[in-house]
Amino acid sequence: MITLRTLTKRFGNTAAVDELTVDIGPGRVTGFLGPNGAGKSTTMRLILGLDRPTAGQALIGGRPYHRLRRPLHEIGALLDARAVHPARSGRAHLSAMAASNGISERRVDEVLATVGLDERAAAKPARALSLGMGQRLGIAGALLGDPPVLMFDEPVNGLDPDGVRWIRQLTRSLAAEGRTVLISSHLMSEMQQTADWLVVLGRGRLIADAPTAQVIADSGVAVRVRSPRPEGLAAVADRLTAAGAVVEPAGTDELTVTGTTAERIGELAYELGVPLHELASHEASLERAFMALTADRVEYAARPARTGGASA
Amino acid sequence: MTTIRAEWTKLRSVRSTWWTVVAAVVVMAATAGQLAIYIANDNTNDDPGDDPGVVALGSVLIDSLELVQYAVLALGLLTITSEFTTGTIRTTLQCTPSRGRVLLAKAAVTATVTFGLGLLLGAVGAVVAGPVLGEWGAAPAAGTLRDVVALAGYLALIGVLALGLGAVLRSAVLTLTVLLAVLMIVPLSLREPDITALHRVADVFPGEAGRHFLAGDGEPYPPAVGLLLLAGWAAVTLLAGRAALRRRDA
Repeated sequence: MITLRTLTKRFGNTAAVDELTVDIGPGRVTGFLGPNGAGKSTTMRLILGLDRPTAGQALIGGRPYHRLRRPLHEIGALLDARAVHPARSGRAHLSAMAASNGISERRVDEVLATVGLDERAAAKPARALSLGMGQRLGIAGALLGDPPVLMFDEPVNGLDPDGVRWIRQLTRSLAAEGRTVLISSHLMSEMQQTADWLVVLGRGRLIADAPTAQVIADSGVAVRVRSPRPEGLAAVADRLTAAGAVVEPAGTDELTVTGTTAERIGELAYELGVPLHELASHEASLERAFMALTADRVEYAARPARTGGASA
Repeated sequence: MTTIRAEWTKLRSVRSTWWTVVAAVVVMAATAGQLAIYIANDNTNDDPGDDPGVVALGSVLIDSLELVQYAVLALGLLTITSEFTTGTIRTTLQCTPSRGRVLLAKAAVTATVTFGLGLLLGAVGAVVAGPVLGEWGAAPAAGTLRDVVALAGYLALIGVLALGLGAVLRSAVLTLTVLLAVLMIVPLSLREPDITALHRVADVFPGEAGRHFLAGDGEPYPPAVGLLLLAGWAAVTLLAGRAALRRRDA
């Protein structure tokens, strides 16, 4: 369990994290979502005691980070996979971490096996590791102390599809074991596939703290539904409207639905025995919804270039 | 103890540590050898006016430090500045949130390694300079051993001094520059004008304190005071480093 209470971090006049109060609960994958510069990484650094909060507090299992005697047993984190000495081998990096928290060398072997780094890769200097390998090394470090809380900052960044799938499976299984898992991302589509719960941040402020399905439903994402049975489709539309969703028919065999999720529509169609030929959340509109959600909260929004002005 | 083990693992697992040790040994052998050649030459050339006479081997070893000490300083400051340049400081503080503990563990490892290295350097210097000095060298076992232990102690303390300063300044180049100024340039400049007050100030600087400790000359203060002064400097920079680590975001 991670507990944030009016957590605030100011750099000069700008608040990177602004009175953030939220609980990150166990047993599920919580997606920490927000555009670049929203304060996700700063929040994670505050949780780990790397930055000093301007106000408020961040607690892990009820205690601030600096009160943890053997912190790797309480919370494991991957912040920056490149934060490894380039000349040091991955194994030595993990051994030093393990030694600092009284963790055995055997556990180092275990986590190396868990993340799929073999003896040869672990013996290489860190500079020789690929981005994906480096990410795995960072995750191995987070798992060392077998902690009940895990926190990964943009873990899928720069990974190939295999790596992305691996991270998804790993985070899900960690959450299934009852751990608290927090993953940050600036991509809603990524979070939609990984996170059970979303904490959305914009300009350091909390925008949403709800189940992923609900955030998507509330954000006005359109789901397209196609069925060869017009009467069945009409029945689905009626039930959806009754449940508060907004349904726009497009011809006789197609609906565009907002205010709910593809999952709910699918279940409803199954219940009513209506065959579906298409059921799709619009990826583009999903991102657009997210942008709408955070529109006035983007730190570095692109603005149309001024025309006719003298070039600088 | 766990933090010390972690720091030792980190120090020995980068090659630059060992290159620094090799550099220190090479520089020691070269400097001690050269100083010994000068002494032998001055005693045997045609000008009797520059004869140094019989010289203690220990003093040759101590004089060699002037140059060798920079390799040892590099060892001390790199243990912390490399953490800032590579970002591993975040991992380190994640593993050990107490800034004081991290710095103390680093100091313990640095002091132990540089002390051991000092003993090794003393031995290497003695092996090289001894035969070159020949009849012009005096190497009483007890006196030489005392000098070697003293120089190892000196290196351990300036190693810790470099570590503390590195924690404050974060940059290796900046730290080395400041060390050069504090150990050599500033006290030298203070001695330039013939003003007693300035000389007294210069005597308090860590490099000068170390020199008086090693020389054992009793002027202007006994060697023990020099040792305490140097240890005080090391402790103060370490405290400053802890304050900097606590105050600033990592």
